[in-house]
Amino acid sequence: MTEVDITLTVNGATRTGSPEARKTLADFLRDDLGLTGTHLGCEHGVCGACTVIVDGRAVRSCLMLAVQAAGSEVTTIEGLAMKGASEGGTGRRAGGGEMGVLQQAMWDSHSFQCGFCTPGMIMQAVAFLSDHPDADERQIREALSGNICRCTGYQSIIDGVLLAAERGRERAAREQR
Amino acid sequence: MTAIAAERYTGASIKRSEDPRILTGAGRYVDDIKLPGMLHAAFVRSPLAHGRVLSVDVSAARELPGVVAAYTGADLEAMTVPGPDALMALMGWQGPTPQFTLLATDKVRLAGDPVAVVIAESRYLAEDGCELVAVEYDELPPVTNASFALDPGSPPVFANLGDNVAKPHSRSEFGEVPATFAGADRVYDFRIGVHRHQNVPMEGRACIASYDAGSGVMTVHAATQSVHVTKIAVAMRLGMEQDKVRVLAGDIGGSFGLKIGASREELAVAAASRDLGRPVKWVEDRGENLTTSGQAREESFEVRAAVSNDGDLLGLDVKMVIDTGAYPGMGAMVPSIVEAMFPGPYRLAALGFESTAAITNKATYVAYRGPWASETFVRERVLDLIAKDLGLDPLEIRLRNVAPRTDPPAVMVTGRPLAGVTTRESLERIAQLVDFPAFRRRQAEARAAGRYLGIGLATFIEAAPGPREPGGPSGPMGMESMRLRLEEDGIVALFTGQMPHGQSHQTTLAQIAADEFGVPFEQVRVVVGDTSVVPFGLTGGSRSATMTGGVALHGARQLKARVLDFASHLMEASAQDLEITDGQVLVRGDPASAIAVGEVARRAASGQFGAGVDAHLEVEATFDGGEGGWSGGSHCAIVDVDVETGLVTVERYVVAEDCGALINPAVVEGQIRGGVAQGIGAVLLERSAYDEDGNCQSATFMDYLVPTACDVPRIEIEHLETVPLDADVNFRGVGEGGMIVAPPTIVNAIEDALSPFGVRIHEQHLPPARILELIAGQPAIA
Repeated sequence: MTEVDITLTVNGATRTGSPEARKTLADFLRDDLGLTGTHLGCEHGVCGACTVIVDGRAVRSCLMLAVQAAGSEVTTIEGLAMKGASEGGTGRRAGGGEMGVLQQAMWDSHSFQCGFCTPGMIMQAVAFLSDHPDADERQIREALSGNICRCTGYQSIIDGVLLAAERGRERAAREQR
Repeated sequence: MTAIAAERYTGASIKRSEDPRILTGAGRYVDDIKLPGMLHAAFVRSPLAHGRVLSVDVSAARELPGVVAAYTGADLEAMTVPGPDALMALMGWQGPTPQFTLLATDKVRLAGDPVAVVIAESRYLAEDGCELVAVEYDELPPVTNASFALDPGSPPVFANLGDNVAKPHSRSEFGEVPATFAGADRVYDFRIGVHRHQNVPMEGRACIASYDAGSGVMTVHAATQSVHVTKIAVAMRLGMEQDKVRVLAGDIGGSFGLKIGASREELAVAAASRDLGRPVKWVEDRGENLTTSGQAREESFEVRAAVSNDGDLLGLDVKMVIDTGAYPGMGAMVPSIVEAMFPGPYRLAALGFESTAAITNKATYVAYRGPWASETFVRERVLDLIAKDLGLDPLEIRLRNVAPRTDPPAVMVTGRPLAGVTTRESLERIAQLVDFPAFRRRQAEARAAGRYLGIGLATFIEAAPGPREPGGPSGPMGMESMRLRLEEDGIVALFTGQMPHGQSHQTTLAQIAADEFGVPFEQVRVVVGDTSVVPFGLTGGSRSATMTGGVALHGARQLKARVLDFASHLMEASAQDLEITDGQVLVRGDPASAIAVGEVARRAASGQFGAGVDAHLEVEATFDGGEGGWSGGSHCAIVDVDVETGLVTVERYVVAEDCGALINPAVVEGQIRGGVAQGIGAVLLERSAYDEDGNCQSATFMDYLVPTACDVPRIEIEHLETVPLDADVNFRGVGEGGMIVAPPTIVNAIEDALSPFGVRIHEQHLPPARILELIAGQPAIA
């Protein structure tokens, strides 16, 4: 199998690797970079567990090859907390259970149970909220309808996203004053 | 409850201690573990549902660079010990016992049956190797349904049985069955079917087996509901002493009954690891999960109902046939639970019940959230069908038939006392929450405008754990054990055999123990997932709230007594005068005397105390369930059926439930909502579909549809005041109820919506195409 040298930015750091051309971005993140927060739930692009943010857009990392991410900026669940507050993070280094705004809201809302869908659900919600900070419940449900959770019946997840959106708006209002 | 919650952790929606790791991507699921020298397994699977295996050639696969080994079924048999399914053996199954191999040798018995396994340096290479395995088959007629399976002319799926009977036909009678039917005003006949659907946890089956030749110890990193059951299964099939198998488990991505023991694939992976002396990982892909991991339900019922003109349900006579698929699972054991639970909370005086379990060339029957749930579906469907015929309201017929709460309690005709059952209260509460007369007015207006709304009601009880039988030697769920220890840093460690996979035990058990022992919540650590340190246990059957919550309470109480006894020597005070508050031992009323519990533990560990002082600050507690009790409740749905497209929208969903005293309301509500979502999926979306050749047609998430955020409405939950039966432990299980009662709730609502078309529903799966068929007058599939 042909290996291809790639360079990309993952969670703010420059990373290089030589994945096989056929290797998915998800497998590259998990196996080559050790970022196992990104989960694989179906490997055919339906369940959304593997969702990461590539150049500002939520993508299914099981449907994208690692080589296609060369030169891109990738954010995974592990990198979320270190993003700036406006992007749902705290600006501090990831690790040690540091949480961003959305993660904190989801903790407060008892959003998840088994946690397997969680990283993809959060990345999808982060990408959506950054574009739609005023989204209502209907819009949030639509936006997350490509991410399957088998445990919760979704209500607690939706509540977490709504709470994060509300806190985001409050923060924005405080900064304007 | 809210007043208590202010002072105690128990009863409050404490934020989960699991969440910091889960929300940040720091959870540890099996696939996240990488061991030095680890190899990867992939399976070659049968394209046929039923066939003879003529030859399996793995030589080309073995030649592929990166492939380390490839095993056929015959290879695996030489490396393992034949025997029955470990779970069935553990549960004491005495019936027909099919002989089978880990990988197919003589025959394949379902499409997807594993035939060979390739072990390689990466999963990619292992799958490349599978492409090079050549298998020759001789196709046999597939046995694709129970009625053909039970036809004496069908080819036996397992040669050693000679037929396709997983559980021979049996009949039981409770009460005066013939006399009840002879004396009834009316006798109804119904045929009701429940379709095949399945668990679908977001993480499929997964394991890493790692054999250490030096110590002879097999370590298995498992996704399992019980590390000990997995240990027993691995030890049995590999012919190892049980103490040479250590099973570890971390985070688990859901299960819903699927992951108990060890599957044939997981046992093959363990055998390969022992043969190679290297760790081997297998993580099933979604196709394998949907087609071969296991499926559930697929039951048919012939029901005769003896009824009075006033709507009293006097007797039922039920014939059940269950399709258990190809390999042994718990399907053969389900009918006996269905039988025991069939009367539900009602005053049913006579029950005839007969059942047969069939073997077919489909995926193995596995437990799925309320495996006996069809008793509730059939009973609640039958009540509505009778009510319609008699012109009674669904609420009225239920209130009329519910057993009254008496002292001593009414007894189900199948034997169990209905102690503390609040079905009537839950129905009455639903009637308060949902204004039925107002709905009927709105329904009439909507119909006039061409919109079809319907309301559905259903009720259930669940033996979680069930009541203590009068004179019974112990509780209904056996014993639950827990080891509790006060560590030198003041941590109260609970070692439990529960294996949480979403149930939040690391939070809920800590809440109970923190209150009972007297330390902050953060000072309790719940240890799970290691056979070398946790006692036997299983997360399943909605047992953990009562059984493990109870043993945590009693265990913490015993540990506290032990700590106070030791502290009494240390503090030169009587143990009765001491208390533990906020992590400190003190003489009651004397704050200056306070010593941190960690300091007490350090002093105990120092060995510096007088002779005859017991400084062992650890207890082994057991709990038998105490007085036990029932979980239960009533659900109500309002649906909108689009008669042009067949699309059903659930507009409102209301739950009035009683699961005893709540440990953590947010966790309880999560369990209920999740179960209801699966029930909505079962009715409107999900079906494990097969074609006439026995090919599974629902092998992707584009074909097996599970509910999304747009399919599940907000679910309103009311917790009823419970009837306490036990002096200390009135927590009851809530894991399965939502999934048990949501399907009849939704189906009853759909039938109500379609009543202007004269539709009567005798099945559970109602996707849009089927709704349109029903409107057009198509008969039931079942």
